[in-house]
Amino acid sequence: MRWARDGHEPAFRELVHRYERPVFSLIYRMVRDRALAEDLAQETFIKVLNALKSYKPEYKFSSWIFKIANNAAIDHLRRRQLDTLSLDGSPTARSPEEMHASAPQLGDVSESPLDEVESRELGGAIERAIGRLRPEYRSCILLRHVEGHSYEEIAQMLDLPLGTVKTYIHRARNELRVYLEDARE
Amino acid sequence: MNERLQTHLTPEEVELWATGLLSAARTFHLTECAECLAVAERERKLLVELAQLQRFAPSADFAEKVLAQVRIQTPSGSHHG
Repeated sequence: MRWARDGHEPAFRELVHRYERPVFSLIYRMVRDRALAEDLAQETFIKVLNALKSYKPEYKFSSWIFKIANNAAIDHLRRRQLDTLSLDGSPTARSPEEMHASAPQLGDVSESPLDEVESRELGGAIERAIGRLRPEYRSCILLRHVEGHSYEEIAQMLDLPLGTVKTYIHRARNELRVYLEDARE
Repeated sequence: MNERLQTHLTPEEVELWATGLLSAARTFHLTECAECLAVAERERKLLVELAQLQRFAPSADFAEKVLAQVRIQTPSGSHHG
């Protein structure tokens, strides 16, 4: 860490190699799009490495990088939610016919090789169940049970009260169990 | 509410049990309470599934793409990257 702060390129490279998989995996499971996850993971590392001089050693480095990664994913999901067109059609439509005419048409989009990789990687029952959680539950469950962070670290990373993190994780686990039971029926 | 019901494991205790960290005294409750045992078993199964999730790798040139866009200040003070 100190070497990277002092500008040693091999130390930068080592930091990227050490954290690229966990950071990419967190973002990928949040946004569920490989190419986008790679862009957001790159943004995360660029932000972190360019700000290394301002890094406070009393803060765990992994907490810092996961905080930035999670913010990147959540910001993207919020933007996407705002950009999403209603599938029911234009909100200004004055009749059912206008609603139907302005609704996006879902044609038969063929699956690209990247789509195939994504459906293989995120297509299992547990991955699909995680994908159904609301984003803030998803962050908490991934940081706790995949990355192994403590509740206190997660609260610090997500700027949430400790009690809220515990509640989110508890609810997320309940939802996951229900989704998995549904999938097995 | 009887005393046994009041001592049901909390979600945090269930998590501790599933990871082998719950105290012996609280673990004993599971030998007496079928309800908690069923919850704990379901929870353990889920936690095992989550812990076994793989870490995905980005593309092979990920580090190069990142380093090409980072301002690396060398110890002498000059920038590259």
